Amino acid sequence: MGKPNDLVQGTLDLLILKTISLEPMHGWGIAKRIQQISQDVLRVQQGSLYPALHRLEQQAWIKAQWGETESGRTAKVYALTRAGRVQLAKELANWDRLSEAVNLVARMI
Amino acid sequence: MRSADVLRLRFRSLFRRAQVEAELAAELRFHLDQQIDENIAAGMSPDEARHAALRTFGGVEQIQERCREMRGNRWIEQLLQDLSYALRTFRRSPTFTLVAVLSLALGIGANTAIFSLINALLLRELPVQEPSGLVAVGDPTRVGSLSTGNVRNDLMSVPMYKEIRDQNHVFSQVFASGRVGRLSVGIDPSATEPESARGRLVSGNYFSVLGVQAVRGRTFTAQEDRTPGATPFVVISHAYWQRRFALDPQIIGRRITLNKHPFTIIGVTPEGFFGDIVGVATDLWIPLTMQPQVNPGRNFLDRWDASWLLLMGRLAPGVSIEKARAEINVLFPRILKENTGSITEQLLPSPDRMHVEVTSGAAGFSALRRELSQPLFTLMTMVALVLLVACANVANLMLERAMARQKEIAVRLALGAGRARLIRQLLTESVLLSVLGGALGLLFAFWASKALLQLVSGNAAASIDLRPDLPILGFTAAVAIFTGVLFGLAPALRATRVELAPTLKESARSVAGQGAGGRWQLGKLLVVVQFALSLLLVMGAGLFLRTLRNLERLDLGYDRHSLLLLNVEPVAAGYEGARLETFPRELVDQLKALPGVRAVTFSENGIFSGTESGTTIRLPDSQNPGEDGFSIAYDCVGAEYFQTTGIPLAAGRDFELRDGPGAPYVAVINEAMAKKHFAGVSPLGKHVVISGPPDREYEIVGVARNARDHDLRGAVEPRLYVPLVQSTDIGTDINLEISTREPAAPVEPVRQAIRAYDPDLPIREIAPLTSMIDETITNERTIARLAVIFGLLALLLAAIGLYGVISYTIARRINEIGIRMALGARRSRVLWMVLRETMLLALAGIVIGVPVALGSARAVSSRLFGLSPSDPATLLVAIGILLVVAVFAGLIPGSRATRISPVQALRYE
Repeated sequence: MGKPNDLVQGTLDLLILKTISLEPMHGWGIAKRIQQISQDVLRVQQGSLYPALHRLEQQAWIKAQWGETESGRTAKVYALTRAGRVQLAKELANWDRLSEAVNLVARMI
Repeated sequence: MRSADVLRLRFRSLFRRAQVEAELAAELRFHLDQQIDENIAAGMSPDEARHAALRTFGGVEQIQERCREMRGNRWIEQLLQDLSYALRTFRRSPTFTLVAVLSLALGIGANTAIFSLINALLLRELPVQEPSGLVAVGDPTRVGSLSTGNVRNDLMSVPMYKEIRDQNHVFSQVFASGRVGRLSVGIDPSATEPESARGRLVSGNYFSVLGVQAVRGRTFTAQEDRTPGATPFVVISHAYWQRRFALDPQIIGRRITLNKHPFTIIGVTPEGFFGDIVGVATDLWIPLTMQPQVNPGRNFLDRWDASWLLLMGRLAPGVSIEKARAEINVLFPRILKENTGSITEQLLPSPDRMHVEVTSGAAGFSALRRELSQPLFTLMTMVALVLLVACANVANLMLERAMARQKEIAVRLALGAGRARLIRQLLTESVLLSVLGGALGLLFAFWASKALLQLVSGNAAASIDLRPDLPILGFTAAVAIFTGVLFGLAPALRATRVELAPTLKESARSVAGQGAGGRWQLGKLLVVVQFALSLLLVMGAGLFLRTLRNLERLDLGYDRHSLLLLNVEPVAAGYEGARLETFPRELVDQLKALPGVRAVTFSENGIFSGTESGTTIRLPDSQNPGEDGFSIAYDCVGAEYFQTTGIPLAAGRDFELRDGPGAPYVAVINEAMAKKHFAGVSPLGKHVVISGPPDREYEIVGVARNARDHDLRGAVEPRLYVPLVQSTDIGTDINLEISTREPAAPVEPVRQAIRAYDPDLPIREIAPLTSMIDETITNERTIARLAVIFGLLALLLAAIGLYGVISYTIARRINEIGIRMALGARRSRVLWMVLRETMLLALAGIVIGVPVALGSARAVSSRLFGLSPSDPATLLVAIGILLVVAVFAGLIPGSRATRISPVQALRYE
């Protein structure tokens, strides 16, 4: 297993918002889910994850609630707010634009 | 919705900090636990699993700190931390805090006090509708003036007002207001003493231009402008309604008399409205067209040559004040040209007096503004300097404290605190100090500005509101924060620039010059600056003091100690016609009979009364063609005027009783006039023609010595005296000059004698000449007093600063001094060493201060009298005072140094 790729600058917000848009999740879960879905390519460091979660919460794009996990532990579970849904759409559109542009440049003959 | 959520979260993380922190810790612990579980599931032992998890997790503290930063109000949290830390430090050193806060309170308070006056007199807008759209036409400081003789550019006549009102295109409306003079009000018919009120004559649109509506009844309308004498109505102010009528609900329709003419109250203005004049609240307003009724015997309504109105216009939409100014200045000469029928050549203002002032009217009219604006700016500069000196002191204190905390700062830097963060914390401390000082200063300023206003303007300014408003609060806050940064920044920068290793190792025993050297340099510099600024202030105090002394000891040309002056108002008492002409003579005879009175005379303008007249004259006997119709200062006086006042005659005779209305017209001129217009010839027997209509020719029968009778400054101007009984224009009031045998003037007997003559005759003023003169130099006295106070304050602060720095050096050099003394140095030598250092610092400040002081003294040269701004004696005395103060500041720590016992000093740590 190679060194996990550094996340493309500015995409962490998008990943977090997308991940919890499916179902509310705690920080550990979010990190795991991103890792799984990206087939171990994307690894979110705790040092980036929690500050990002707190920032998104301060922006009121996600809201947190304390809940119980299957293992019986209490965890802080994050869910998307309505404002967060709008933001997610924006970030997605941005990402599409960006990746398309990068592709255009990278694949030019 | 979202912003509300954001706000809620901010508040939560600010005020429920403990809970938020606990949640953060729990969240991270959960993550860690999950990782451990996963590691165990992967086959590690619990211990191994735990260590591996911690390894991958990284620094928990760092993550937490970054999460805190994400909360967005990190700076508030840090500010609160810094504030509580600062407060704790203050509590630990209450003396330091007290000294710093008090000296800042004095400095900031003095600045706020002076600013409050500037704000009230020069900046604050009238409490009317949209004051920014108001434009004043004429000199807005000439609120109480009336001038007859020719058309003026600073005050308008009624016909001129009407022309400007009807012909201009720049104002949507324009009103006129003018002085009434003394108003004797009759409210209660049974009252024996006449009472007075402050009134103003205004055009019918006065209230509509200002946008002021009556709270009771109505205000004036165009109806009041129509027929002269037909609208005996009066609008009163809310304050007058309260003061004199106890808010009587039946006020509308109430009948009162003004100068014996019946009027009806038709309205009350809203609370807080004081008229168009700042500084003197108006009690009641009278229609302009009623002027002849309140000034019986004088009618200015159709006279082009009676200038007494100020105009205030409201700009028409889209018109700028520049455009208004341009148009009025085109209009003014045109109106003069169009009315050559009524405005004869002689009535025209001189060509250099054709420009009409058009300024913003937002702040209203004010006579105090002219008197006080320049002194206020001088004082503002002085208090700013005092504040700087105080700042330097607090900076020195802060520096000393920061140095004492050098180790603490080094430890914190070593532990990874950012320098910027430390500077911010130190600055928070200094700004907190200055804000506390500012808050205290605000209280001090409220009291001081009131006292100050009382000092400079007496009771006239009682109506000026000095309560702190937004500009005052803003000014104080700005000054406080600025000072905080000013005296905090340098010490903070210096204190955080430490080399960690030596400082941490350093003990007080370190070799002189290392570590604390920078503090020493900066502290020295601050003291030098303090002495330079102090020299400025002490020099200024000296100049103003000597100016005051020169004014007080000026030779007037006659004895100032034996004259009692009074002013009575016959017109307000209803005197008319023959009575008006005969009563001065009768009054003189009554007063002459009093014991202690040597002689009595009277005059139109009086001596140092504040009113002066001019008239246009011709000299038919002069060969000089240029002397054909010029204006000259003049006064109409009674018999024995010169003998009574004590102004000596150089030639000819005094006025006598025989110079009556039917007798040949006679005049006396002063030496200045004789010298200017009759050089080399005796003026006796020559003639002066006072321009009419009709012209009157006077024969010069006497030449009086030059005397200062209205102004202490400047050269004595040419002056003409004629008998009042031979003059045409008798004013609404008359001045009596009483020569007394003793300097202590018999004020009460004189008052009683006048009351016995006519109890209805109002006495406006009665005072010895000395106190009248004192009144004319009130501003000079106030400035001199305040300058002395500020100078002393600056000196005291500078001395404290010097004392502090010298004490600090001695403490640092205590080992060295001990060694010197152990090796046999004499006490006097040690003392000299300390004093030399002190004097060097003071001298450095003086050397910097002298050119600055000389330069800035030139800026106040117009306020000086009888000495040049670079007066060497004053400068030398100021330097001497500074040196003496420096010696004393150095002597105390110096003598302490000589008492150091070598043994103790060597052990000292």
